[in-house]
Amino acid sequence: MIRLTIDGKRVEARNGEFLLALARREGIEIPTLCHHEAVEPAGACRLCMVEVTKAQWNGFSKLVTACLYPAEEGLVVRTDTERVMKTRREVLELLLARSPRAEAVRRLARQHGITVPKYNVDEEGDNCILCDICTRVCSTLVTGAIARVNRGVAKKVATPFDEASDVCVGCLSCARSCPTEAIAFLDDGLKRTIWGKTFDVVACSVCGAPTVTKEHPLWMAQRKGVVEEDFHVCDACKVGKTGQACRKVMW
Amino acid sequence: MESKLMHVFPEKCTACRNCEQACAFAHLHEGRPTRARIRADADPQQREGKNVLVVCYQCDAAACVAACPANALWRDMKTGAVYHVESRCIRCSSCVAACPFGNMRWEPLRQWPSKCDLCGGDPVCTRFCPTGAIQYK
Repeated sequence: MIRLTIDGKRVEARNGEFLLALARREGIEIPTLCHHEAVEPAGACRLCMVEVTKAQWNGFSKLVTACLYPAEEGLVVRTDTERVMKTRREVLELLLARSPRAEAVRRLARQHGITVPKYNVDEEGDNCILCDICTRVCSTLVTGAIARVNRGVAKKVATPFDEASDVCVGCLSCARSCPTEAIAFLDDGLKRTIWGKTFDVVACSVCGAPTVTKEHPLWMAQRKGVVEEDFHVCDACKVGKTGQACRKVMW
Repeated sequence: MESKLMHVFPEKCTACRNCEQACAFAHLHEGRPTRARIRADADPQQREGKNVLVVCYQCDAAACVAACPANALWRDMKTGAVYHVESRCIRCSSCVAACPFGNMRWEPLRQWPSKCDLCGGDPVCTRFCPTGAIQYK
């Protein structure tokens, strides 16, 4: 066990545990936008900055991202100093100037007293804050259809060469995990369009309700060996099937 | 591990749907029984005493757990229940598609999957069943 202090509270951390996870476990609030527990931390949004110091550092302290800084013996962490709040506000000003319509960014900015950023607002700016959750989710947990492309101001999330991806299965994980709802998709129950690719949505073989895309079960069956027939029935009809099977056995 | 189990007696079920209401109130905080995690499947031919309660079996080799790419479904070693960790979920709906019994359900309004977690060891539905068709003992 590693012993350290967060906001004056003595806590114990597991070896290799990051400060953000530790703080959340102890009920200390640190705002984040790019953190998702399903994937490795990336330090992309810079909102979780905290100030760390040690007794033997002779008064020196540094700002680090809590999501990527591992707990160390004797560390003194402050999450609410003036330096931390100033940095956090600065990051929010930049994010709000880039994505003025993103609800998650606006809410956090409002909580920190920012309604109009001091930087030039990009009125045409999309909601994407390049937090990298979608690309991390897709590349480590699904099929790796999207990535960050280009550098600098042209950086964006896209499929290779902006073409319809041949590995995307249309599971919508990227769009649904996006904290700012920046990934557009269309789903009318028959067709689903995301990243420029249109998928057929399989209708439930009993009631006709939309289930998943045709490619989704193929990918899952290949990966985990799950029985493929179960995918063509919606959850409500599967309940009916279970009831019917039970009735057949009992009566 | 505790030795308590969820017991379902279909012959006692009158499809009164108290369990669905209790579940909806306990987990969604609203009376929306269609989104409950337990379903009283009434007999389509309306024969009496032929209703089946469909609730998660907490399978040992669970298809939902196998299908989840993000390890968002964990087993509670105290109750033996598989529970859904929302903060780890990427909402790909693989688990909903994979469950052969329809006990992994999709909530369209919240766009989240939901499943019975035995309420952490004290299932609310069992307390509201008037006939004892569902018991936790």
